[in-house]
Amino acid sequence: MVAAGLYLKRFYTVVRKEVLVLPSRIIVALFFIVLLGMPLISRNPYLIRVIVLTSIFAILAASWDLLSGFTGQMNFGHALFFGVGAYTSALLNIHLHLPPWGSVPLGAAAAVLTGLIVGIPCLRLKHTYLALTTMAFPIILMGIVFALPDVTGGELGISGLQRISNSLIGNYYIYIVIMLVLCTIMWKITDSHTGIIFHAIREDELAVKASGINTTRYKLLAFCLSGFFAGISGGLYAHYMRIAGPSTLEVSMSFSVVIWAVFGGMATIYGPVAAVFILFPLLEFVRFWPEYRTMIFAVVVLLILLYMPEGLIPWVRDKIEKGCPRCKIRNVATRKTCRVCTAGLD
Amino acid sequence: MKILTLGWRLLLTLCIVMAMCLPAWGRTIKIGVIGPMNFVQGKSHWNGAVMAAEEINAKGGVQVGNEKMKIELVKADSNEFLNVTDATNAMERLMTQDKVDFVVGGFRTEAVLPMQDIAMDYKKIFIGCGAATKSLCDRVAENYNRYKYWFRGTPFNDNYLVRTSFSHLGAGAAVIKNELKVPVKCAIVAEKAAWTEGMVKVAEATIPKMGFELVGVWRPSAVATDVTAELSAIQKSGANLIFTLFSSSVGITFARQAGELKIPALQAGINVEAQKEGFWEATKGMGNYVYTSSTYIRGVEYSELTKPFVEGYFKRFGEVPTYTADTHTAIAEALVPSIEAVGSLDADKIVAYLENREYLVPSGKVKYEKDAQGRPTHDLTWGPGYLTGLAGQWQDGKFVGVWPYKWVAAPGAPEVTYKGMVPLKIPPWMKK
Repeated sequence: MVAAGLYLKRFYTVVRKEVLVLPSRIIVALFFIVLLGMPLISRNPYLIRVIVLTSIFAILAASWDLLSGFTGQMNFGHALFFGVGAYTSALLNIHLHLPPWGSVPLGAAAAVLTGLIVGIPCLRLKHTYLALTTMAFPIILMGIVFALPDVTGGELGISGLQRISNSLIGNYYIYIVIMLVLCTIMWKITDSHTGIIFHAIREDELAVKASGINTTRYKLLAFCLSGFFAGISGGLYAHYMRIAGPSTLEVSMSFSVVIWAVFGGMATIYGPVAAVFILFPLLEFVRFWPEYRTMIFAVVVLLILLYMPEGLIPWVRDKIEKGCPRCKIRNVATRKTCRVCTAGLD
Repeated sequence: MKILTLGWRLLLTLCIVMAMCLPAWGRTIKIGVIGPMNFVQGKSHWNGAVMAAEEINAKGGVQVGNEKMKIELVKADSNEFLNVTDATNAMERLMTQDKVDFVVGGFRTEAVLPMQDIAMDYKKIFIGCGAATKSLCDRVAENYNRYKYWFRGTPFNDNYLVRTSFSHLGAGAAVIKNELKVPVKCAIVAEKAAWTEGMVKVAEATIPKMGFELVGVWRPSAVATDVTAELSAIQKSGANLIFTLFSSSVGITFARQAGELKIPALQAGINVEAQKEGFWEATKGMGNYVYTSSTYIRGVEYSELTKPFVEGYFKRFGEVPTYTADTHTAIAEALVPSIEAVGSLDADKIVAYLENREYLVPSGKVKYEKDAQGRPTHDLTWGPGYLTGLAGQWQDGKFVGVWPYKWVAAPGAPEVTYKGMVPLKIPPWMKK
């Protein structure tokens, strides 16, 4: 009892001193609470479906940010990893009757392998050339899908996959928790030593090489990590939709990911996640005006990019918080002095 | 203050009017119409359903037991050509937000498969009006208790579609043999698209078995604006029959340029552009003698229901209905009589009644199939006396029905010719 009280006190202290001091942290905490508490407020299957699919795409968008936002390896064919994860999970589930807890990780492993296969030839390429080359890979895979209809189901895809859970709420919590955990892991990776090297490669690869760091290895690692997370989202998607089809490899899927990441703010992880949670439900919300759905979506994206070129979330964050010029710690925008080093903030 | 009072009075009046109107509306039968609403297929889904609802409501509605209920349509844009996820969300919305009683529509198989799953989760009858793949109905046979709420509305399945196309090809070849007394040399020209991949393979295997020489396969882009290279090669190959598989704008390009170059070959097969009223204008009349499969042609009658439907649709929407407009059939011929017969909206009762029905529709007669083991598939029966489809040909500016014309499906089977059919013609320049 006493131990529990101590833990509670410690938890309260952490919340008060680490979370409540910054608006962005409060927003993230609220995001976690709202998502985890949603079924207590509403069990509407449509709402739950939208949130589950949003979560799957949030993992995908964050995985793109890990590779292209942080490492600067501009990937315009991210649907490749998603599709490989989806198809591998589907094949394993349908033909080997592997349950989702086995097929999804193996699908992700296949996507890692794909990351290696794609990463190696792409290492010598940069900028536009890299973007165009990566764009070609899902198109090649789609060609293979259509060429081997007996294996891949061709145009129809592989359908009849097992659900992860047959319970609506069970499904919801599985997807939401996986999304929260994976996105937190990705965020922690970018905050780690490896993440700093990723960031440095994007800023100045030559300087990183000159520091004795094997950038080739790190770029390949970025491809594999990104492939892993995108592969998981592909597998989850296939099991949720109960089908893995050619649409998972479409160019529009790759571009959607880029739009989400750029809209939310690249090289942040939380930016693309937030963007998916804004844009995907927005598309659903404007169903009442079907003729103009896509146009409304495009206008919102354009306006944000026009007035917030760094992305929505960094813009919002800069409005509500400011960095200390001396210790770089972030403070709420209303403060006059830094909460750590007490340096003046204006 | 005075304005505010007036506002409140208006609001109160509105509430009273609404409250008075509600009982008059009564309960309605909510039918979800799902399809790619920004594309021609979805527009036809919607038009067909609107026409059916208007006709039924004008007659006072549907007699459900002792109650007369009107039909209320709910439009759902599946956006399935661009986004399969969107399609499933639209279906989920129909089920849980709009709480529809039945659903009709769907087009792209990759989207219809998960949409079918969602409808089955909620045990709602879903009549498919677009996707041809057989596997949708195989699911009914394999897991009847789950998938029994699925029925195929249109078209008949892909196996039958292929068979019909080869029947059209055979009819064209017969005319060439009879009139020119030469062996048939066939070229396959299929646009580069996923849907043609399987059909090209089947055609490559089947055409030699039909006794024709296969001279080659050409695959222009679906949006090609110049196909003279392909046409020259086809002419050099000596082909006198061209099996076309076009769903996109290349259908216009190919027909126009073939007409301009007077390629001595009959074009037969699928050319979706040629099914449209504007084809003659689009090809500047060069699409004369193009022969393509179709579902409805003005002046051709499968049954006594065809003319009222086709002419009514033409009058209402200014165009000949395409097959996705068979949402009309799904509502007016499949659902409504079944609801009235069982006197209830109970899906299980309707399924049990509908799957055993044989009924006339504007495109023939519907009978649901059973598989080799006698299990219901809810797939459509194809063949003489049931559904066969049509083929039309452009003859001097008019799209006329040419198949089935004295068609004998199998030795001993009755000859089939629908009312309004005319004989198929080969281009006169083939005779030189």
